[in-house]
Amino acid sequence: MAASVPLDLHTGNGWLVGFGNMVSKEWGSWWRTRRGLTHLILWLFVINGLMFLVGVDERQNNPPIEILEELIEVFIRAGGLFATIGIIVATQSAVFGEKQLGTAEWVLSKPVTRQAFVVSKFLVHGISFVFLAVVIPSVVFYLQVIHHALMQPAFVPFTLGLLLHVEHILFYLALTLMAGTFFRGRGAVSGTAIGCLFAGLILPSALPSLTPLLPWILHPLASMVALQQDLPDQAWLSVIINLLWTLLCMLVALWRFDREEF
Amino acid sequence: MEPRVPLSSVIHTDKLTKSYKGVEALKALDLDVERNSIFGFLGPNGAGKTTTIKLLLGLVRPTSGSATVFGHDIVGDSIDVRRRIGYLAQDPRYYEHMTARETLTFTARFFYRGPRDAIEKRVSETLEIVGLADKADRPIKGFSGGERQRLGIGQAQVNEPDLLILDEPAASLDPMGRRDVLAIMERLRERSTVFYSTHILDDVQRVSDTVAILDHGELIAQAPIEELLAGTGGVVYSLGLKGDGTGSQEHISSLPWVSEIRTSVSGAITNWQVTVTDEAVAERELLRAVLADESVTVTAFGRKQYELEEIFMDLVEGNGNGS
Repeated sequence: MAASVPLDLHTGNGWLVGFGNMVSKEWGSWWRTRRGLTHLILWLFVINGLMFLVGVDERQNNPPIEILEELIEVFIRAGGLFATIGIIVATQSAVFGEKQLGTAEWVLSKPVTRQAFVVSKFLVHGISFVFLAVVIPSVVFYLQVIHHALMQPAFVPFTLGLLLHVEHILFYLALTLMAGTFFRGRGAVSGTAIGCLFAGLILPSALPSLTPLLPWILHPLASMVALQQDLPDQAWLSVIINLLWTLLCMLVALWRFDREEF
Repeated sequence: MEPRVPLSSVIHTDKLTKSYKGVEALKALDLDVERNSIFGFLGPNGAGKTTTIKLLLGLVRPTSGSATVFGHDIVGDSIDVRRRIGYLAQDPRYYEHMTARETLTFTARFFYRGPRDAIEKRVSETLEIVGLADKADRPIKGFSGGERQRLGIGQAQVNEPDLLILDEPAASLDPMGRRDVLAIMERLRERSTVFYSTHILDDVQRVSDTVAILDHGELIAQAPIEELLAGTGGVVYSLGLKGDGTGSQEHISSLPWVSEIRTSVSGAITNWQVTVTDEAVAERELLRAVLADESVTVTAFGRKQYELEEIFMDLVEGNGNGS
């Protein structure tokens, strides 16, 4: 019987208890199911398909440098918008869904901290989604640009622009997870995050002085960086403040989830 | 001052209380569960059984009071508590995309860091024990209710827990499934303590050695099963009689060690429930006294054996939950 099998018991304490196992489980939900492949096909179709159409359109009678700039602008702005909506939809059930289905109760009856439960979701959803909806479409986009504009985007500025795009996505991931700890309905969770995203299309003109402090600045900044344009004053402050917004959302999510009863 | 916990107690609660929006779901529960016992936790729906279990597991927080499991505080040392527990929920839910093997491996890895081969071996053995070896690599989403319950029992024991907590483990099972669950509980008793909630009183009477009854969030009884089954209404003898026993009944009622006779008629048989105050005298004299009346024939005689259901109903109805 199993008593003869030598097994090493976990003995540690602290907020990381169970974290590795949770990461492995979340990783499996992306990469040991069809989910990863579905997202890969979806984002190649949506983002790179859009860029193909834009590229074909722009190639008529425009000089290569203008084609290049237009493609980068559209890729960061439109691709970024789609990817941000994508992360909200893909993760809206990550916390509330587990509360509702009862799997969170089951998992948390094992030796795992609630922090590990939430942080593992942020880590794995973030890495997986960014890889599938940003990294791979960006590589394909890079090749598309060469094809359409016969020029290469400057690698470092383009990559820095993508990092700001990733920062934007991670903020919305943290916001969605945070909303999931408060609400018990998919509509309320995604409504909170999508509402915030669309507020960014309206409010900056109404509150221009606040815009540098809010996540909506990141996409305009990302395209400016990628296109090597002059950045507004205190652009780095916006980058840091928006990292802090993401951190704040995660801390609130951890605080709220720690108070949850199952 | 630290509360005194009996040395043999696995679970000790001290005025453990839980309120939801001002309504007390659990009222100052004082409970002790002895090591290596099978502890039946009974009560009608909404009595507070699941709340108690969730408190022990750290899934809900106490409003007041405290509890320890293996000496670990359920709030401050919840991870240490959960490391020694296997838990089966009332309506267990798992990740549907996982197979039974993946589910048990995922569970085992919360307890063991490795080696991988040993974990895989433990998982395979557990799948055999719960009868899921042939379905081990099928996704759970195709499992029947009975298979899910077996998986639940598997995941609850894959870490060979010192304390197994089962919330209504047999409620959704057919008779064969119930039998298997009870067999697993009896097997685990050798090295574990089993704490389980149920409302299937036959099961409790078959396997439990200690019973607690909860009603409206209050503990209304806690005792070894034999003690509980002995009843609280004194020693009672049951007799079945044929013939006119009126005279005999008057005579028996007048005996100083008889406190009450209750009669009921079932066809040609009159049944007596004779409550006595002196068991030794009654054992010696009662049957003799009845047989002295030649107008009656005794068809049955014996000391009344209480059923747990009777005790349960008496206690719960006496606590105001009878209607």
